Amino acid sequence: MRYVEEFRDAELGRALAARILSLAEPGRRRKLMEVCGGHTHVIYRYAIDELLPDEVEMVHGPGCPVCVIPMGRVDDGIAIAAREEVVLACFGDMMRVPGSERSLQEAKAAGADVRVVYSPLDALRIARAEPEREVVFFAIGFETTAPSTALTLKRARAEGLGNFSCFCNHVLIEPPLRALLSAPELEIDGFVGPGHVATIVGARAFDFVAAEYGRPLVVSGFEPLDVLQSVEMVMRQLAEGRCEVENQYGRVVPSEGNPAALAALAEVFEPRETFEWRGLGEIERSALQLTEAYAELDAERRFELPGARVADPVECQCGEVLKGAIKPWECRVFGTACTPERAIGTCMVSPEGACAAYYNYGRLSREEQPA
Amino acid sequence: MSGAPETEPQGEACITCGDRALPLRVIGPGAEPGLARCADPQGREEEVEVGLLGPVAAGERLLVHAGAAIARLEGER
Repeated sequence: MRYVEEFRDAELGRALAARILSLAEPGRRRKLMEVCGGHTHVIYRYAIDELLPDEVEMVHGPGCPVCVIPMGRVDDGIAIAAREEVVLACFGDMMRVPGSERSLQEAKAAGADVRVVYSPLDALRIARAEPEREVVFFAIGFETTAPSTALTLKRARAEGLGNFSCFCNHVLIEPPLRALLSAPELEIDGFVGPGHVATIVGARAFDFVAAEYGRPLVVSGFEPLDVLQSVEMVMRQLAEGRCEVENQYGRVVPSEGNPAALAALAEVFEPRETFEWRGLGEIERSALQLTEAYAELDAERRFELPGARVADPVECQCGEVLKGAIKPWECRVFGTACTPERAIGTCMVSPEGACAAYYNYGRLSREEQPA
Repeated sequence: MSGAPETEPQGEACITCGDRALPLRVIGPGAEPGLARCADPQGREEEVEVGLLGPVAAGERLLVHAGAAIARLEGER
């Protein structure tokens, strides 16, 4: 048996589901938020939601880095890409994210040199290979991704590479979680915590969720049984009246995180005063910018950007989806005007977005959902 | 933040954003310091940043995210 199959064993899955049911209080619905878009994807792909009893409702959080990018930042990226001398390198999922007038994909079709890369290092390689071009890496992602960008920027600086820069949109997980936890309308009983972010920041970085906000959190892996077991661990805490941060993904996640990654982040980046999150609005110190020592690699200093704040389209309810206030199928344009092929909102663009996960795995219309 | 199931082809989850991480096996040193050549379960090779982990040995399995190894998969085989 391959090791991974042990994490997908149907019998074990049913046994875990039965344990979750035994921990549920009949008639009392518990709302658990999975913070990470990767977990959202796994839950719908493996129909974990259908294995769970009625007493457990999964609510989808803001942990998809593509989904939280506001339109104004996409417009800024397009403005950089529109420059004659620029190659804009970005992750593939950014290509279809709508800006106020168009996406990067449409900008590319109109002649901009926008290229998909799989890593910041790939963007650096383009800069080395094409010294006559200005290569700008459109950086997105949480603490999981930011260390890779930091290492690449350190390389670029050490090489004195003059034609490389970074348009930094890296975000942090703690500030939006605090914003969600502070919202009076939010009724979340516990959290399934983001495993890959925790490999960098450590499981202990989430202690504040239990200590300050009184909600249990279990850092979870990404196989179906990881997620089920994490739900079981949160439900067990609730049943026993405990409120702790536990680490289900101990085979990968150290409690203190990755010190080398944290050091690289601290060297290259510093928190921005404020950053706009799609659907959540401005959140203080929730994103990263390059430090003074890396100023010459900062695309925001190298190029003039529109920097406009653009309101989301009125018909789009991504903000409410990202806050867990509505389910994707409750959005007025879900599956009709907004589909993965032509998305209005970011949650439909990335496969990790809650709307795309619903749409791709057959939760197609509100009519099919129970009232 | 998605875990890439290693038995599946790439492309079903968020392949680029990267909150997806891939389990890759170290084959040998890379072309530059701080890089290692790694292969995925299908044998596709790529050069990966390993500076966050310290020295890695051929045969080790790493969790790789956006081109950088972020953890060793010591418990996994």
